[in-house]
Amino acid sequence: MSSSTDGLSAFLSYSLANLESAFSQIPGSAVLVRYVKSSHQNDPGRTILELLLAAFAIFTLLQSRTRAERNGKHFIQFSDKEIEELVDEWTPEPLAAPLTAVEASDLAAVPIVVGQNGPKPTLVKQTSKIIANLASYNFTGLAGKEIIKERAIETLRKYGLGSCGPPGFYGTLDVHMALERDIADFLGAEAAIIYSQGFSTISSVIPAFCKRGDIIVADRGVNFTIQKGIQISRSTVRWYDHNDLKSLEDVLDSVEKERKKRRGPLTRRFIITEGIFEKDGAMTDLPKLIELKYRKKYRLILDESISFGTVGRTGRGLTELYNVPANKVDMLVGSMANGLCAGGGFCAGSQNVIDHQQINGPSFVFSASMPALLAVSGSEGIEILRSSPSILTKLQQNIRVARSILDELDCISIPSHPASPIIHMHIRKPAPLLLHPASAAGGHAHNKPSNPVSVLPRDASKWDWDIDAEERLLQQVVEEALKRGVMITRAKRLRGQEMVEARPSIRLAMTSDLSADEVKKAVKVVSQALKEVLRK
Amino acid sequence: MSLFKKKATSQSSTPVTTYFAALSKAEAHSVNGAAPTATPALSLSSSITSSSEDIVLHEDDAQIDNTDGLALPPRAPNSSEVFTTVHTEFGHCSNNDFRSISRHIPGTSVPAHVDQDPPYYILFSTYISYLILICLGHVRDFLGKRFHPGSYRHLMPSNGYAPLNSDFDSFYTRRLKTRINECFSQPVTGVAGRTIQILDRISPDYNHSQIFTGTRTRALNISSYNYLGFAQAKGGCADAVEVSIKEHGISTCGSRLEGGSSDLHVLAESLVARFVGMEDALISSMGFATNSAYLPALVGKGCLVISDELNHASIRFGVRLSGANVRMFKHNDMGKLESLLREVISQGQPKAHRPWKKILLVVEGLYSMEGTLVNLPAIMELKKKYKFFLFIDEAHSVGALGPHGRGVADYFDIPPRSIDILMGTFTKSFGAAGGYIAGSKALIDRLRVRGHAGPYAEAMTPPVLTQVVASMASIMGVAPPIPTSSSASTLQAQLETQIEPYHHPARAPASALPLWMTLPPSLADGSEGLSRLRRLAFNSRYLHQGLIKLGFITYGHPASPIVPLLLFNLGKMNMFHRMMKDRATPIVVVVVAYPATSLLTSRVRFCVSAAHTKEDVDTVLRACDEIGDVLDLKHGLQGGERWGVDEVCVRALELADL
Repeated sequence: MSSSTDGLSAFLSYSLANLESAFSQIPGSAVLVRYVKSSHQNDPGRTILELLLAAFAIFTLLQSRTRAERNGKHFIQFSDKEIEELVDEWTPEPLAAPLTAVEASDLAAVPIVVGQNGPKPTLVKQTSKIIANLASYNFTGLAGKEIIKERAIETLRKYGLGSCGPPGFYGTLDVHMALERDIADFLGAEAAIIYSQGFSTISSVIPAFCKRGDIIVADRGVNFTIQKGIQISRSTVRWYDHNDLKSLEDVLDSVEKERKKRRGPLTRRFIITEGIFEKDGAMTDLPKLIELKYRKKYRLILDESISFGTVGRTGRGLTELYNVPANKVDMLVGSMANGLCAGGGFCAGSQNVIDHQQINGPSFVFSASMPALLAVSGSEGIEILRSSPSILTKLQQNIRVARSILDELDCISIPSHPASPIIHMHIRKPAPLLLHPASAAGGHAHNKPSNPVSVLPRDASKWDWDIDAEERLLQQVVEEALKRGVMITRAKRLRGQEMVEARPSIRLAMTSDLSADEVKKAVKVVSQALKEVLRK
Repeated sequence: MSLFKKKATSQSSTPVTTYFAALSKAEAHSVNGAAPTATPALSLSSSITSSSEDIVLHEDDAQIDNTDGLALPPRAPNSSEVFTTVHTEFGHCSNNDFRSISRHIPGTSVPAHVDQDPPYYILFSTYISYLILICLGHVRDFLGKRFHPGSYRHLMPSNGYAPLNSDFDSFYTRRLKTRINECFSQPVTGVAGRTIQILDRISPDYNHSQIFTGTRTRALNISSYNYLGFAQAKGGCADAVEVSIKEHGISTCGSRLEGGSSDLHVLAESLVARFVGMEDALISSMGFATNSAYLPALVGKGCLVISDELNHASIRFGVRLSGANVRMFKHNDMGKLESLLREVISQGQPKAHRPWKKILLVVEGLYSMEGTLVNLPAIMELKKKYKFFLFIDEAHSVGALGPHGRGVADYFDIPPRSIDILMGTFTKSFGAAGGYIAGSKALIDRLRVRGHAGPYAEAMTPPVLTQVVASMASIMGVAPPIPTSSSASTLQAQLETQIEPYHHPARAPASALPLWMTLPPSLADGSEGLSRLRRLAFNSRYLHQGLIKLGFITYGHPASPIVPLLLFNLGKMNMFHRMMKDRATPIVVVVVAYPATSLLTSRVRFCVSAAHTKEDVDTVLRACDEIGDVLDLKHGLQGGERWGVDEVCVRALELADL
């Protein structure tokens, strides 16, 4: 017994001596020893403190880096056998539920164009001739322009197709820079940046600027991708009533009051809205909005995905229509895919705004740049719009022709602005609205404002339309119109994923590629179909 | 010069069947695991059907300046060699020894990701250099704000506006990244093929701004994601794209569900499904958005996403949008993954302890910064036991890996349909843009209806679709047309072919191509595609093993076309980049640092392509060897095990077989 203790202590002292000599071999160890000795002599408490600190540092370093829930109070300790049982028992839900009959028939009813899409396309499952396409975004008829095709082919022969890299790593082509320059010049902005998909542009622009703690004041009717951008930004969001600048002002005031009350620091503040709303075609009163944002010191992120290339004398969008200099909009976002029949999206603004996105815009940094020929097609599209204002005149004329017929119908209501190239049509419910004039007044009644924290407007509880039933009816209208040769579409929505369920609508997309007579004929077909289905 | 301007004059006289015979012979060769396939069909008998002016072997420039050694191959082709590509786009290489097969040897283990550490003084000096840069930056900010308030105005609150980007948030960008800005966002022109033309620029003010000099430099491009070399302005794919622009225009004008669907979409989707061996596939017009817009349709509240810590930003973006819970595991560490799985399944949802609705494991096939290959065999084992769903992002691996180019499942010889979701992009191997998701028919239909892109995002454009179809079909090889279906419309024919028994990897049915698309024979029979796969595999292995033998520290799997070479010191990034670019044969490289990598492991990332010849890889190795000596980068193998660069070049075949 004692001999084993002796042996142990002898071994310990031997190894200690060994360690000591090894330690003294390390250059500089003598200094350390001297330092520790003297500090211990002066203040023994300090040695303990330093030892504790060292132990804490080692403990922290050894901790798992990932956020382990193992130590949380909700963690339950299981034995291996229990875990095996739980693993065996667990059955996941299927990855995806099969389509319902309605979804499947909707998917099957999606028109598929054979060959070139345009004002009068050929469809796969269509026997009769299509006399007009009022479903596709070909507002200014750039889709069929031979000159664009020629330029695209030239570009293909020089650049190939793909850019094979993100913009940061040899994916920036001279034609990309040229398109950025063209867009900035066209709009009158200082600079512009292009993204390779229109849809992903604003959902990347928003989180590039809006961070946690920043304030976003947004319209309740913004499109899906803006909603997603806001969601990913993790900023504080306040909502104002759809296209109601009085409501916006109230919300801005309440935000300011809140900040003063809390004495919070000055944070970035943004107003996010659309030029022409994708959801219903309403148009923002830009001059008033600009005045408001300057007065309240907010920055404006304006989504012109629908209005760019469709309104204004030459299609520069809302800024041209209202004669507002584009540099008053801090971030002007648009889509070359919609407005120019090319591909991708852009954001225009000051040089600082653009430079910032080049490093912080997620879908700019982490995505391959767009194919060269799409960039050149965009540039060429701008050139065509710039040099021939008659295209826009014709588009607006066609819109007026369509509206003059549709506005007469009493079975539908149209929330879209008279100049909007997309025309949304809701089913009008004649009786109940007349019985409750107070609720019908809608935007005028401001005695009880909506809660800015909630995305749902105050009168959401009174929405009495049956989404499924209306969608079925409208789908019948779509199919009826298609039988008579007019291709239209319901506005497709991700039901259950949108923050506010938009009311079902049929969405017409006007084009300058049809003559006024053709538009008249086509819209009459649509109105016939509407009447027949809705008055049943 | 005229020697090279040789245009193939012989018309397509060779019967298609001989190509198939040669092809199957090549296949048999590869299956037997013999030496790297050298098949007579691959390069020699190729003949060009269209003798149109499009196929010229050179740039339009009348006189070719070959001082940089890039415009012309080192050796003039002999009479038996006919090249249909432009050497600057896709290098001429007829030596069938320089071919390898990309596949996993059954029974061997998949190498885990190893962080090889450099000597301590390198780590120490890296930390010190960051420290110096950060201190200097703060000093400059401190003084700058006092003496040059003008240049800080946009970083300070002014006039009641908070700064868009505070000086704190932008510190790294302004004070560290700006110093090496010349390495990033270099504008280029022309095809991003074997070589690329950079627009020369200089910075008069320490990289704050860049001024274009107006001149261009052609450089060897070992940076673009052009794995199979389909970035070409000349050749069968580009010809097909040209026809498609004439037939289909530039845009399909709208989203897939709202009037932007075209027959090309349907054809391309069925071809993609066939390529990856899944039941159905959908196509999205942007690779980033394929993840960010479709992941939220797969999982939601009550679901758990288990994500590799090095997954791409688009995956994180999509998962964040989905609202699902996320847990991460250490990069490619199967032990950590299993213990995490045991924990999350046994614990259930946080607090409530309800069982998870679904668990989705999201991994990448090939990691873009590390070059590591996912340990798929191990994951498949885990999948059997733990019943999670598996989502593989094959952005980099599809086309680039596997004996048939079908990606990581092909590489490991795992049936694709045992994986739930295969996602990939067309940017990298196919020279196009956008991405796809493939899976069961029910799943894909659900995604078509529920994914964000369906109703809201613009559909893929016809030229891009055509590039996808043409390049994919030429990797697969096109099966001879079924005589009866020639009268039927393409879509009907395509529906018929879907009834065919499942076979993977399959050839592309002739009905999967648009009627107007005629691929040149070497593309249609798949021989050129096969040769591209073999060339890429050889180049990847050769560069990887060559760098290791020279003594560098590299990461990743030898089969990976992404080869990261570790630099560690921030300052060496700039130097390496510039020294490569200023060589007699300029080489452009991608250097990456924090935040794309960890703070310490700044690196160069080479992306090998099938377009490179063995001589190109030699050039890169020689350049690395010289620069590595100057910058003290060789800290991998010890002196005795290293080879000299000449030995590496001579014993290339041996290296590629390692």
